[in-house]
Amino acid sequence: MNAIISTHSLSKRYGDVYRVNQVNLTVYEGEIYGFLGPNGAGKSTTLKMLLGLAQPTSGRIVVFGQDLRKHRRSILARTGSLIESPSAYQHLTGLENMRVMQRLRGVPEANVMEALRIVRLENQKDKKVAQYSLGMKQRLGIAMALMSFPPLLVLDEPTNGLDPAGIGEIRELIRSLPQRYGMTVLLSSHLLSEIEQVATSVGIISDGQLVFQGSLDELKGRSRSHIALRTQDNEAAARLLGANGMTPQVGGDGYLTLRDGDDAQVARCNRTLVAAGIDVLRIEERRRSLESIFLELTGKESSL
Amino acid sequence: MNALWLELYKLRRKRLALMIALFLAVELAWAYMSLSMSIARNPDNAGWPAALLLVASMNRLFLPILSAVIVSRICDMEHKGQTWKLLMAASVRRSRIYAAKYAAACLLLASAVALQTAGIAAIGLASGFREAVPLMLLIRLAAGTLLTTAAVVALQQWVSLAVKNQAFSLALGMLGSFVGLTAMLFPAPVRLWFIWSYYMDLSPVTYGYASGALSYAHNEFGFQLPLLALAMGAAAYIAGCVHVSRQEI
Repeated sequence: MNAIISTHSLSKRYGDVYRVNQVNLTVYEGEIYGFLGPNGAGKSTTLKMLLGLAQPTSGRIVVFGQDLRKHRRSILARTGSLIESPSAYQHLTGLENMRVMQRLRGVPEANVMEALRIVRLENQKDKKVAQYSLGMKQRLGIAMALMSFPPLLVLDEPTNGLDPAGIGEIRELIRSLPQRYGMTVLLSSHLLSEIEQVATSVGIISDGQLVFQGSLDELKGRSRSHIALRTQDNEAAARLLGANGMTPQVGGDGYLTLRDGDDAQVARCNRTLVAAGIDVLRIEERRRSLESIFLELTGKESSL
Repeated sequence: MNALWLELYKLRRKRLALMIALFLAVELAWAYMSLSMSIARNPDNAGWPAALLLVASMNRLFLPILSAVIVSRICDMEHKGQTWKLLMAASVRRSRIYAAKYAAACLLLASAVALQTAGIAAIGLASGFREAVPLMLLIRLAAGTLLTTAAVVALQQWVSLAVKNQAFSLALGMLGSFVGLTAMLFPAPVRLWFIWSYYMDLSPVTYGYASGALSYAHNEFGFQLPLLALAMGAAAYIAGCVHVSRQEI
């Protein structure tokens, strides 16, 4: 697969603080790449650098196989984007804003109407943007990004301000883009559930560092299961299992846990306890959720 | 041209034409009344030099404020709509937008100066001046006014784009107006450095003192003053463009 975007040791420093630190991000053609991270992790700064809106302190960005510094204009001509809050001229109507972008991008009239239809703004197009709700502004921003149907679409938190129905619509739209228009989508969010439902690949950034990059399946593969046991006397059960070469841990929730417990080990454990006269009340297999993996990787429960 | 067309397109519903018309109407009405009172007191004032000088002196008050308002309206929409990143991400160079905004502001103010010139001719005809309309003097006044305004616009645009809060640029406009009005009290070498004083300095008519009496005289300022105004405008434009282009979005 061709890499559409690749960054090499990309860093951005503001004062003494690295907002983005040595990030090596790779987005392949036809992917929906979910760029995930808590608020303030460095997602928007990274995306701004990818669009040439912020200058990297160090590192290199290659898009469509070309160095961004040398070929910025030709790269941006093939990239649609929505960064941070939606941008639009408040005193103009939705359609007039589209016309401004149409003129800048040099796209035909049909694209304007098609983009408005896709985001379901065709009935609101003659209203001034100042009168739009946040969700409508977000839709307009997406329409402006889509207008030229570019091969690369960069969307920074595109579902911000949308109602649940709108979130569903945008999610479906994003999911359909690679197949319908051959687009590669780089999508950022601080919501794991959002990324989980649309992305094919994931990058997780925390405190400016890319702590995970890979497919969603790889991320799910990190959720190794463990066995939870509840007995009549957990302390005695732990001593007995320890003496038999197992390494149980006594949890605060009234359960003993065994890591990497396969079927044979579970059966042996159960047999040992029953033979020693310790009643086994529960045996459960527990698997960590994606959310707990994300929290472990980022260590930022508070921002979720 | 595409960028200029876009700037003018983006000015829809900004009511700038109405604002220019109102400013000019107030200025010309004031000039007409003032001239009528002056002629009533001294019939020797019934001539084109008085009308031209009166409007030139009023431009010191009106044009810095009108320039500040127009430039602020043109620039503020980018701040309010957070549209810089939209434009940059569409691979538009900031220097190109800067130039288009400058051209749009100058175009609007040039229209205002053209209307004002026609207004002065109308005032003279309404006041019953016996001499024919002095076309050359009017063109020279318009050229001087336009040159000064172009430099003022460059300065205003720098502030309006660099500082989001437009109160600063409007305050600069008012300060310019104040400096313009009081500049005649400054020594000539000091006055040279204040662009707002050029509305009077580049006027083709000035006051002269002959035998202790105030009279009107041709103002022969040569090439030095217009070149200085041009240089100030160019310096403000280049500094502003470089500064704004380097600001992070």
